[in-house]
Amino acid sequence: MTANSLEALASAGKGRSTRTLLRVVILCLIAGAAIASRLFSVIRFESIIHEFDPWFNFRATKYLVANGFYKFWDWFDDRTWHPLGRVTGGTLYPGLMVTSGVIYHALRTLTIPVDIRNICVLLAPAFSGLTAFAAYLLTNEMTTTDSASAGLLAALFMGITPGYISRSVAGSYDNEAIAIFLLVFTFYLWIKALKQGSMLWGALCALFYGYMVASWGGYAFITCLLPLHAFVLICMGRYSSRLYVAYCTWYALGTLASMQIPFVGFLPVKTSEHMPALGIFGFLQLVAFLSYVRSAIPGRQYQTFLWLFAGGTFAVALAGLVIATSAGIIAPWGGRFYSLWDTSYAKIHIPIIASVSEHQPTAWPAFFFDLNLLIWLFPAGVYLCFQNLADEHVFIVVYALFGSYFAGVMVRLMLTLTPVVCVAAALAISSVLDTYLVAKAPAPPQVHNAEDASEASVKKASKGGLKSTSKPVVGVYSYISKGVVVTAMTIYLLLFVLHCTWVTSNAYSSPSVVLASKMPDGSQHIIDDYREAYQWLRQNTREDAKIMSWWDYGYQIGGMADRPTLVDNNTWNNTHIATVGKAMSSREEVSYPIMRQHEVDYVLVVFGGLLGYSGDDINKFLWMVRIAEGIWPDEIKEREFFTPRGEYRVDGEATEAMKNSLMYKMSYYNYNALFPPGQAQDRVRGVRLPDVGPTLDTLEEAYTSENWIIRIYKVKDLDNLGRDHTSAAAFERGHKKKKATKKRGPRVLRVE
Amino acid sequence: MWSFLSFLGLLLVTVVSAISTTGDRLLVILDDVADKASYSQFLGDLEGRGFTVAFETPKSESLSLFRLGERAYDHVVFLPTNSKGLGPNLTPALLLQFINQNGNILLALSASTPTPVSFVSLLAELDIQLPADRTALVVDHFNYDTASAADKHDVLLLPAPRPSRSDVKDFFGGSSTSLLAFPRGLGVTLGAGELLTSIVRAPRTAYSYNPKEASEAVGSDDLFAAGEQLALVSAFQARNSARFTIVGSAEMLQDAWFDAEVKTVAGATAKTDNREFAKRVSGWTFQELGVLRVNWIEHHLNEEGVANMSNPEIYRIKNDVTYSISLSEYAWSSWTAFAVPANDVLQLEFSMLSPFHRLPLVQDAAQSTAEAAVYTVSFTVPDQHGIFNFKVNYKRPFLSNVEEKNTVSVRHMAHDEWPRSYAISGAWPWISGIAATVAGWLAFCALWMYSAPTEKKKENKKTQ
Repeated sequence: MTANSLEALASAGKGRSTRTLLRVVILCLIAGAAIASRLFSVIRFESIIHEFDPWFNFRATKYLVANGFYKFWDWFDDRTWHPLGRVTGGTLYPGLMVTSGVIYHALRTLTIPVDIRNICVLLAPAFSGLTAFAAYLLTNEMTTTDSASAGLLAALFMGITPGYISRSVAGSYDNEAIAIFLLVFTFYLWIKALKQGSMLWGALCALFYGYMVASWGGYAFITCLLPLHAFVLICMGRYSSRLYVAYCTWYALGTLASMQIPFVGFLPVKTSEHMPALGIFGFLQLVAFLSYVRSAIPGRQYQTFLWLFAGGTFAVALAGLVIATSAGIIAPWGGRFYSLWDTSYAKIHIPIIASVSEHQPTAWPAFFFDLNLLIWLFPAGVYLCFQNLADEHVFIVVYALFGSYFAGVMVRLMLTLTPVVCVAAALAISSVLDTYLVAKAPAPPQVHNAEDASEASVKKASKGGLKSTSKPVVGVYSYISKGVVVTAMTIYLLLFVLHCTWVTSNAYSSPSVVLASKMPDGSQHIIDDYREAYQWLRQNTREDAKIMSWWDYGYQIGGMADRPTLVDNNTWNNTHIATVGKAMSSREEVSYPIMRQHEVDYVLVVFGGLLGYSGDDINKFLWMVRIAEGIWPDEIKEREFFTPRGEYRVDGEATEAMKNSLMYKMSYYNYNALFPPGQAQDRVRGVRLPDVGPTLDTLEEAYTSENWIIRIYKVKDLDNLGRDHTSAAAFERGHKKKKATKKRGPRVLRVE
Repeated sequence: MWSFLSFLGLLLVTVVSAISTTGDRLLVILDDVADKASYSQFLGDLEGRGFTVAFETPKSESLSLFRLGERAYDHVVFLPTNSKGLGPNLTPALLLQFINQNGNILLALSASTPTPVSFVSLLAELDIQLPADRTALVVDHFNYDTASAADKHDVLLLPAPRPSRSDVKDFFGGSSTSLLAFPRGLGVTLGAGELLTSIVRAPRTAYSYNPKEASEAVGSDDLFAAGEQLALVSAFQARNSARFTIVGSAEMLQDAWFDAEVKTVAGATAKTDNREFAKRVSGWTFQELGVLRVNWIEHHLNEEGVANMSNPEIYRIKNDVTYSISLSEYAWSSWTAFAVPANDVLQLEFSMLSPFHRLPLVQDAAQSTAEAAVYTVSFTVPDQHGIFNFKVNYKRPFLSNVEEKNTVSVRHMAHDEWPRSYAISGAWPWISGIAATVAGWLAFCALWMYSAPTEKKKENKKTQ
């Protein structure tokens, strides 16, 4: 690096077109970095769909591509929720699948035949590039100067922050993959519409809001945040016709758009979550009316009029809302919503929501883990918004407040916080850099907008003594202090990149379908039990063999094994899930009729005892018990699965209810045979198991995967001779039937 | 074409060999092959009906019910043996496996020879109780043959058996005057299971006792069973329709009691009907009687203007659907149309978890033939989407089991299957509202565009 070339670079950065070119190049590089950092999983493992929900989305996409849009729209899925079926076309957010379908067909028209799986796998990284661009646009709306440094930094942060990567690595084919882009872009369009008071931008905002509604249930966040922003603006006395135009355009068109999605339907006018938007819409009309009246009548009368009018309207609206809610016209707040206010609500009332780990309250280290440096720059950025508080800055403040709250109560909502953190942090950093990267003192009124940190460090030694000037401008002008601050920031940013890469590579890039472990020599060992077992199901069972498993594995069985399941991750029917929970947690005599009634052919359990895999069914078992207890409190009792001392045990001390439960029996059936007598060990719970393993009468072992993670049992048919399974199995084992003809008690006569 | 071919094949099979629907390989197990002389008429009748009869003794080395995992015989007749056990080739587990593989067994017991242990535990599995000491004798002091058992009263004379319920088909009864002789037999009691049915029950005055122990009188505590609780000939039909029959008295199958002269207590002389009864019992056991066959099942949409596809996999809620099932019954040598007994109905269930419809199937004379009766019913699919089963579950005593399940999905209304909004009168106010708004908007636009603004007020009108 010579001084000459630096000069050339600095002067080149001054031209307007050069700057645009630079921005485009930088944005492209950021998008490239965002995509590249999400490819760890593909490189380490393979191009595979991850986890649970993506498998359903993938299956739905395949259905869409194979059958066309209208078939997809009216899709009745008879391979899930047996025997209820699922009106899948009307109970999903089709945005993700339609997006991939459109890309697939577009590529085919361009004669680029790409497998639909690869499109699905790479959709999330591709959209993360767009999200970075949207963050750039949104942040640029926040800065008044011509400088794009805040926008570019925001784009960079958005591209690589782990809080967003966690839901958008390659293979994580979930609604969030495109929803975060839509969220940020809708916000950008909203700010644009608000700033310009333009119907066009408002309509565009509504359009993307409609796309967002079609893609993710989290659209309610926008539905509540925009009215809130409008409300805060009105309360601050910032009502303007711009606000009126932007809001009314967005609300009217956006609501119409959202009602086109079958899953949403009439919810926007029926449920409480959507009422703020409707209320503010009405409120804006009143405010507009009032401002018209104010221009028409004198001030004093207007005061009285205002108070009477406002009070009356508020009372009428509130009464209307209360009556409509109690009459059942407007649905009361849903359980998921309550759990947002009271984090222990779900644990008490709706175990099915609490049982999902991503619905748990966030632990504080998670904030640092997911956002690192940004989390402490975030308040600074919000503070900077207060400094020049325009309408759009109010938005950032409101968003920051609510985003932080929701991210605090639910882990998965960290995702909605991430964009505002990136924007605010970018504002803070760019403000620091813009301040300290100015090499020259303000004495010559020439703003030097250098892009490169190294430029300042090169020049810092040559000048000095600015402090002594008697100019009224205050600030830090010493090159040393500038250099220290800039160097520190640079190091922080570099550390941030390191952290992001490390987190992405280590925490968020596991497909969780395939497990990886290290061999003693350090080489990677792939544990592929899931796919092994699902492949077995695919090849060895009838095509309509019904598989019963806990709901976590429903989507995977549907996607990988292509077999009907009883319950899956959609969890729309709590009773059906509780039925499976009851079958798993009851004695065989109770479970068997349930399985017969539901035509179950195979039962699949996940057992980690051999490998020390902690996410297995025995560890999830208490949730099954709790959910079943919610429906049948007389038959299933959680208390009975704990020892008198309150311990949850699976060894010899386990309670009778535990030992007799189908889940326990299926998990430990024949497990003893793997060990020398008396040494059977469960490596997850770290306990030694009793010498005699459980016996199964109504099921027979069909398949156990290599590392015993998946165990599949076949449900026996009714006994051909009409015996119950216990005695039939006893006869098979060679036990003689006890003679029950001793003359005790009254004689039992046969009646014909 | 296919049905014609299979019918032809069936015809061929009927003509060529067996008259049983499941095969003609019959094994008779008895102590001494020479003993078969006393059963010559019974066995001769069987051979005459087309069975190829083989004989074995229980201890024989060559005896095996299975060959390469498949049944080596289709039917087995056990005649009384003196041995206590039956040896390694006839363990209860093997006999159960034989039944599970659709083999039929006719077991003849006798009061004079103790029942082998193998059978005791086999019968215990079927919920059939034998008397404790395995050698009890059934006597009746009011219905006995005065000619042959004037002192011991142990040759029972029974009227022709009649079904215990009016909706059960009568397979075993002969003419109303005929008598059955039941000499020196063993009575068993049956458990409450629905797979068990008694063919011949003892008269109300009969009882079972052990002649060796209680020669004088039987106390009520020691009594094994009495009256109609004693089953003299009883039948067990497994879920796979394999049949197992116990005849309490092997002697009644012997030549001596076929067409024998007996004399009732009242003094009348008559000929026994044992030969005919033996034919019917063995015929039922070896699947020559009361075998039902489902020829085909068909269901289709019963609506106008719709492609009328057979057996579609999916229906829509509130569709009109017709279901038909064709049933034949085998009687001795040919398939005939199955007629449901007078007081009974054949029902169709349309069920998901529990039945939404349970409808009687009615015989459709137009489609029925001499060989097959077609039962049909039309109904409307319930307003509930899901995976439903057309289920016919017809299990009756002495008839082989019919359990047919056809799964269909019932989907919801597609988005374009609802009536259009203008077809619903309730929607007219809203439609006219939309029309009024559109018209008003257009009128306003026209007015706005064609009314020239006045010069003065131009500056203070600011709408946007």
